[in-house]
Amino acid sequence: MNNTAALRDMSSIRQQQSRFEGLTPGHRACQGCGQALAARLVLESSGPDVVVANATGCLEVFTTAWPQSAWTIPWMHSVFSNTAALAAGMEAAFKARDISTKVLAFAGDGGTFDIGFQALSGMIERGHNVLFVCYDNEAYMNTGVQRSSSTPVAAATTTSPAGIARTGKRHLKKDIVAIIAAHCMPYAATASVAYPNDLKDKVRRGIQTPGPAFLMIHSPCPLGWMHDSAKGIEVARLGVETGLVPLIEMEYGQQTSAMPLRRVRPVVDYLKPQGRFRHLFADDPMARQELAHLQALADHNIAHYGLQESQPESGDSHAAASVRRGTVAVVPPGAV
Amino acid sequence: MAERMTRGGFAQPGSAMAFKTGSWRDLVAPRHLHGLAPCAGACPAGEDAQAYLAPLTNGDVKSAWEILVTANPLPATTGRICHHPCETACNRGQFDEALAIHAVERYLGDAALHNQWAYPGIPQTTTEPAVAVVGGGPAGLACAYHLRRLGHAVTIFDALVEPGGTVATSIPPYRMPKEILQAEARRILETGITWQGHTRVGSDVDLDELRREFAAVFLAPGSQRTKPWDVAGVVPAQLHDGLALLHTWMEVGSMPPWHKIAVVGGGNTSVDVARALKRCGVEEVHLVTHNGLPWDAEDPMRAIAREVRQAMEEGVVIHANCGAERLLLRGNRIIGVVLVAMKKMRGADGKWHRHGFPGTEQVLMVDEVIPAIGQTVDPSGFESLLQGLDYFDVDHHGRMTHHQGLYAGGDARSGSSGMASPAIGDGRRAAAAIHAALCNNPLLPEKQRPLVPITEMHLQYFETAPRAEPSILPVAQRQGEAEIEQSLTARQALDEAVRCLSCGNCMICDNCWTFCPDQAVLKLNHTIQGDGSPYVFDMAFCKGCGICANECPTAFIRMAPEQDEQG
Ligand SMILES: Cc1cc2nc3c(=O)[nH]c(=O)nc-3n(C[C@H](O)[C@H](O)[C@H](O)COP(=O)(O)OP(=O)(O)OC[C@H]3O[C@@H](n4cnc5c(N)ncnc54)[C@H](O)[C@@H]3O)c2cc1C
Ligand SMILES: Cc1ncc(C[n+]2csc(CCOP(=O)(O)OP(=O)(O)O)c2C)c(N)n1
Ligand code: SF4
Ligand code: SF4
Ligand code: SF4
Repeated sequence: MNNTAALRDMSSIRQQQSRFEGLTPGHRACQGCGQALAARLVLESSGPDVVVANATGCLEVFTTAWPQSAWTIPWMHSVFSNTAALAAGMEAAFKARDISTKVLAFAGDGGTFDIGFQALSGMIERGHNVLFVCYDNEAYMNTGVQRSSSTPVAAATTTSPAGIARTGKRHLKKDIVAIIAAHCMPYAATASVAYPNDLKDKVRRGIQTPGPAFLMIHSPCPLGWMHDSAKGIEVARLGVETGLVPLIEMEYGQQTSAMPLRRVRPVVDYLKPQGRFRHLFADDPMARQELAHLQALADHNIAHYGLQESQPESGDSHAAASVRRGTVAVVPPGAV
Repeated sequence: MAERMTRGGFAQPGSAMAFKTGSWRDLVAPRHLHGLAPCAGACPAGEDAQAYLAPLTNGDVKSAWEILVTANPLPATTGRICHHPCETACNRGQFDEALAIHAVERYLGDAALHNQWAYPGIPQTTTEPAVAVVGGGPAGLACAYHLRRLGHAVTIFDALVEPGGTVATSIPPYRMPKEILQAEARRILETGITWQGHTRVGSDVDLDELRREFAAVFLAPGSQRTKPWDVAGVVPAQLHDGLALLHTWMEVGSMPPWHKIAVVGGGNTSVDVARALKRCGVEEVHLVTHNGLPWDAEDPMRAIAREVRQAMEEGVVIHANCGAERLLLRGNRIIGVVLVAMKKMRGADGKWHRHGFPGTEQVLMVDEVIPAIGQTVDPSGFESLLQGLDYFDVDHHGRMTHHQGLYAGGDARSGSSGMASPAIGDGRRAAAAIHAALCNNPLLPEKQRPLVPITEMHLQYFETAPRAEPSILPVAQRQGEAEIEQSLTARQALDEAVRCLSCGNCMICDNCWTFCPDQAVLKLNHTIQGDGSPYVFDMAFCKGCGICANECPTAFIRMAPEQDEQG
């Protein structure tokens, strides 16, 4: 097959994919970007009847290198701080004109936890029917890895470097879900790219919620977290399995579910592959103390969110992200 | 074009798909690589268990059997008697418990007999002159079957009336029912093979005659001559050979009226003789072997672990790492045997020797000592080929290097492990070699796929599940010809197939399709490609991040140097 024929063939195969492609390839995300994957998964389970308001940040930048766009749904860029306000405005306009299209707001953790927070709080408080999705890569990545209030304690960023005096960030990651939930919030949840079925379920629940909904997706960033680009899903999964990244749902301020952990891993398994935590493995009492601190935070999460209180059902592929070969076959007639 | 606009104007953006991020790949690209599952690597008959377990996961029993018999035409037989090294090698054994491959193999074999399925892919036309096969045991039957698959006419010569060889004559019915073997052998002959029973090569027909009249000759006479045996130069006056006793028992169902017996030998024959003696009411049956127990790491005995375990359940006492040092005689009569502890050790010359340790002697008071220490090829008729050796010398393909047109395999070849499934593998390889020679084609080496060790798999995606266990007759019910190990139910067999980790082969889990951040993995509608998967990489967009390979449970995706990429 010559090249043009191969290309034509690929594009016809692409058109037959049994999923909605709200975000096309050709985007300029780094190799192995967790956020690009997360955004595609969100649109896969919400599209095509959606519009997106997108905050400044990596997602906005890597999808829209003018004059090209990787979005196949209506998409609008907002300034860094006002994504929720823009989404709220779109929703109000749709409502006035009786249009049922769902409004989504996309932002990074900087655009959610910090600079976009005020607009987000207002949007929720006014009860706008918007699903706000935060792609949590735990720092301001697009401007070169500065710490945000989502950056976990002890992680090194360019503005919270590790050195002789400090072991990376000194402050705790903000518990944004609890803050959002405190708005008498109909639906607030956390998800991870390592558990795509669970993620897509939560998007669907958020979409079906009449009124504001919030979903935070833990999205590895190979550049900022300094891990091998192949390991993004693995790192995300380890985050969940250690208890550092609890996957929960909250409705009206109350926790209504937690993804149970089948096996609990020590936090070092999660930290080791990431360069942003490399300094914690130095032979240094301060480093050892921070490691113990992170382990204590994970243990606290496991107890606080009840991550081990229920056992996942066997074959519950959401919780295990497990795979099995073949279908559950029925015994064919005439079998001995 | 949409891409040009004036300040303050409006334009539809172009699609980002015009930007081919595939150019970002840095030296490595993902690639489908159908690796060799350890089960397939270990099967002496050449089966790929994974390949036939796959259709079974969808309930397709017939396709599973049809794939299985592309390598082994006797699955209901090997499913019962094979020592199943596939299960020892199975990756799942390091995860929870190995797949019960032999039990599924047996299930498929039984299903085929029950439904009277015929072998697929046997051509009608045959090329003459025919190929002669000497010996209708597993090796000869497998060779004949594969020759038929390759379009050749075949005649099998056997001294016995019925096909099946040693499996038919020597393996007791409690683990190998006669009618099962006969049905499978008959089905092989029905592919259009001429059966010349009751014809011994060497007396009824001459080997040279066969070489003249046939295009090629495959020798699979097994090993039928008992090895000479003595204890410190002494042979009992009335020597009872183990295999001969077993044959008598299988024909007439009884043994001499003994009370205490020692059987010497560490192979399947000694175990079956010991068990037969026990069934005939002998109170004490001792089995003495130089080797360790089958599950010992060092110097294990050759008998199959399962059989040794069952023999022990039935009351056979095993004396492992022991040798018979002296017979205790009263006149000509044996009253006992002296055992001594032994160990295989490397001597100063670098070779392995067995050492007995003085001071460890123990006396077993027994009525008889029965050797069951193995056989060699019966040389009559083959003297010119053997030239005093015990077995035929052949290369990997069964070719007798110095004798054009002659091939050999099974128990009769040197280096054989004396088991049925390697004999079947020998028959298959020899058939391929004969086919190549008769067609004047070069003999291509079998395609080697790289083995997939468990360390290359991504096991976090699998859940533990208990292995299917066939039911086993309790010792009290092990009588007559009743089979000890039962078949799996259909439900058990199907569930067991689902336990297969699909090592090195796509299991269609969608992980790569789901996780690629660049949608560079595309799924074809219901098409399985030649490489065994319905996925393709769109290299125009693949950035080479490696996520798909890292999340592929089966290690079917590998990151490989770009130049190896085959489009
Ligand atoms: C007691 C016992 C238990 C065993 N248990 C097991 C087991 O559990 N699992 C396992 O895998 N293996 C077992 N084996 C070994 C297995 O039976 C053999 O490995 C296998 O049968 C070898 O196959 P073959 O085709 O090479 O030879 P055979 O099966 O021995 O067949 C050789 C055939 O050639 C014929 N023949 C010989 N000489 C001539 C001649 N001159 N002219 C014409 N025909 C001739 C014979 O009549 C015979 O039919 C056991 C063996 C014994 C003795
Ligand atoms: C008001 C304002 N301040 C600063 C910036 C510069 N800026 C652009 S993107 C970005 C970081 C975005 O971080 P985050 O929201 O976490 O998203 P990420 O890039 O990590 O996905 C910053 C600081 C800006 N565009 N606007
Ligand atoms: S898990 Fe399946 S493919 Fe892997 S070794 Fe075992 S039987 Fe073979
Ligand atoms: S996940 Fe996608 S981009 Fe990454 S190597 Fe695989 S096919 Fe290429
Ligand atoms: S990830 Fe799953 S679907 Fe993709 S190649 Fe591997 S086994 Fe097949």
